[in-house]
Amino acid sequence: MEQILQFVLSGLSQGGIYALVAIGYYMMWAATKAANFTHGDIFMLGAVSTVILAGLGIPLPLAMPLAILLSAAAGALIERVAVRPFNQGPSSVGWMLTTIAIGLMMESAFTATYGPLGKPLYSPLAQSPIRISGTGIYPQELLIPVVAIAIMLALEIFYQRTIVGRAMLAVAANRIAAGLMGINVNRISMIAYAMAAGIGALAGILLAPVAEASPAMGALIGLKAFVIAIVAGMSSARGVVFVALAYGVLEKMIEGFISTGARNAIGFGVMILLLLIFPNGIFGKREVVKV
Amino acid sequence: MAHSPTKVTRLGSKLLAGAIVVTIGATSAVAQVAQPCIGASLELAGPLAHTGLQVRLGAETAIDEINAAGGVLGQKLKFIAYDDQGEPSRAVDNGRRIGEKDNCVAMVGGFRSPNALALREPIDEMGLPWVGVISAGTRVIEWEKGVNKWMFRVSMKDRWVGPFLVDEAKARSKSGKIGLMFEATGWGQGAVPDVEAAAVAKGLPLVGKETFNIGDQDMSAQLIRMRDAGADTLIMYVVDREANQILRSMERIGYKPTIVSAWGISSQLGKTAGALTDGILVAGTFAWNGDLTPRAKKVYEAMAAKFNLQSPNDILLPSGAANAYDGIYIIAEAIKLAGAFDRDKVREAFYKVKYEGLTAKFDPAFEKAAPGAIAERHDAIKPSQYRLLAFHENVLKAVEQTPFKR
Repeated sequence: MEQILQFVLSGLSQGGIYALVAIGYYMMWAATKAANFTHGDIFMLGAVSTVILAGLGIPLPLAMPLAILLSAAAGALIERVAVRPFNQGPSSVGWMLTTIAIGLMMESAFTATYGPLGKPLYSPLAQSPIRISGTGIYPQELLIPVVAIAIMLALEIFYQRTIVGRAMLAVAANRIAAGLMGINVNRISMIAYAMAAGIGALAGILLAPVAEASPAMGALIGLKAFVIAIVAGMSSARGVVFVALAYGVLEKMIEGFISTGARNAIGFGVMILLLLIFPNGIFGKREVVKV
Repeated sequence: MAHSPTKVTRLGSKLLAGAIVVTIGATSAVAQVAQPCIGASLELAGPLAHTGLQVRLGAETAIDEINAAGGVLGQKLKFIAYDDQGEPSRAVDNGRRIGEKDNCVAMVGGFRSPNALALREPIDEMGLPWVGVISAGTRVIEWEKGVNKWMFRVSMKDRWVGPFLVDEAKARSKSGKIGLMFEATGWGQGAVPDVEAAAVAKGLPLVGKETFNIGDQDMSAQLIRMRDAGADTLIMYVVDREANQILRSMERIGYKPTIVSAWGISSQLGKTAGALTDGILVAGTFAWNGDLTPRAKKVYEAMAAKFNLQSPNDILLPSGAANAYDGIYIIAEAIKLAGAFDRDKVREAFYKVKYEGLTAKFDPAFEKAAPGAIAERHDAIKPSQYRLLAFHENVLKAVEQTPFKR
């Protein structure tokens, strides 16, 4: 019982990170029907730039929002230079190459300048764990799924109650029709990328105090979050967060009851199986194309 | 229709064959007299670029000292480092460049054992003395097939590290229950049989074996099992990043065993995990923190000035840097004994080098096989010369200079 509680708590924390990154994939896919493969590196950018800014003497409460703004600007820039010019037709795939390339360039640039090794990021919530019987978790880790759920709810309100949010829904539903209705589709897409990057950066900042900030920290998390977003269906933030939290717990159960080595093999195997059962994703809707 | 060779083409073939013979002969003649340079294939870029820097710290400082004292055989030594980005194929290319184009008298190896293993064949073919200063893979020196003539090492050896760690764990364990945690890499998995055999030999079979992947962020599951098995001492094969996560996971579940680790843990861990590192024991060959001998202090000061180090704690692989320093001195001493920049003679001289280094007293550095025996000793640092380091106040020191000495 003690073990299961530990796996659930650790899994929810890990799943919360996946959720925050996967929400970004969902937002960007909705806006442009493209996947920004730099997103794992944007997650890294948030953590690493916070460490750099804090190292320059900027207080953490200021360094964190600055890092999020910087990452949001990077997200907007990526949309403008690496996605939009290569996503002009229904079968365009050039954005895959450009976003993967920019991600690798970011990682290499930070490895060369920031250094390859991880650096700690201070948080008062990561100093001592809360212990429950023989299990434990840092308050920082508990915060992660809470923030993921809060962001999900905030996004739902944003989509329903704001003009920009509604415009995003319109673009997601039909890009051409949204354009004909006077919505600046390119601007809305850019805003979606910036918001996704900001949320991804926030995930990196939340994780860094318990897992170090390093240039390579985003690669695997970016990939897993993408898989989660696909399996969830890329159709709602709620679905993405649910699948992400469940996947985080599943990983810990596999680690705990089978083996660490089997984690990715079984985890990805389950994802493939789910995709076979739900080709449009668990929460996805079949897209009807009228001709 | 086939044409029989004309006289002209036959003459051309003979001339060509003659030219090849002359060229090969000339090349061999050049190879006999090597240049006063020591090459190295290191990771100078990429995620483990700091490992290449650690070799440079020791090697370049030693070369500066040797040159300041007049060089070797009246010539200044040159250190040529090429980047292999951690890839064995690039290490082989670099080795060929060092042995053939640069025609260096010797070569120094870097961090990764797979790179050193890939170099075995070309090194043997070129007849280039190679001195490993970090990579500890047993098979780098002890070949499965063939005879290792040219590869030597001034570092630890995995086959000897396992028993060293078990001895220390046994001495530290109160319950006699020892566990093993290892990363799921060739290094970590390769150590398991050595550690298991040593534990059985000491009458303390391991009560748990747990593994983890590079990049894992939470090892609570493995540690809960280890705790429930009653292990009060853990032997670890882990590098800094995952070691930090293990310490975090131990703190989560309130588990505080004694940790005796192989040298994947470096000074970096003290910077990232802070007070959680206190008391961790690490096998090594040298520590730069704490009280140093006058010579080591002088070497550190030279390193700090050349590489802009702020403190000894900036030497992330303390043993690696010291090994590199001693490795260069052993090569230089061998050249002096050989009396020429001749690779064959330098190789023979390795068995006669007597030198008191930072890491150990080498008397001699390497040993030829005794009559009737098969194996030569190409590992300069013997297991009896391994040292135990310990983290105290976030820095890695010789255990004797910490409260964790036995």
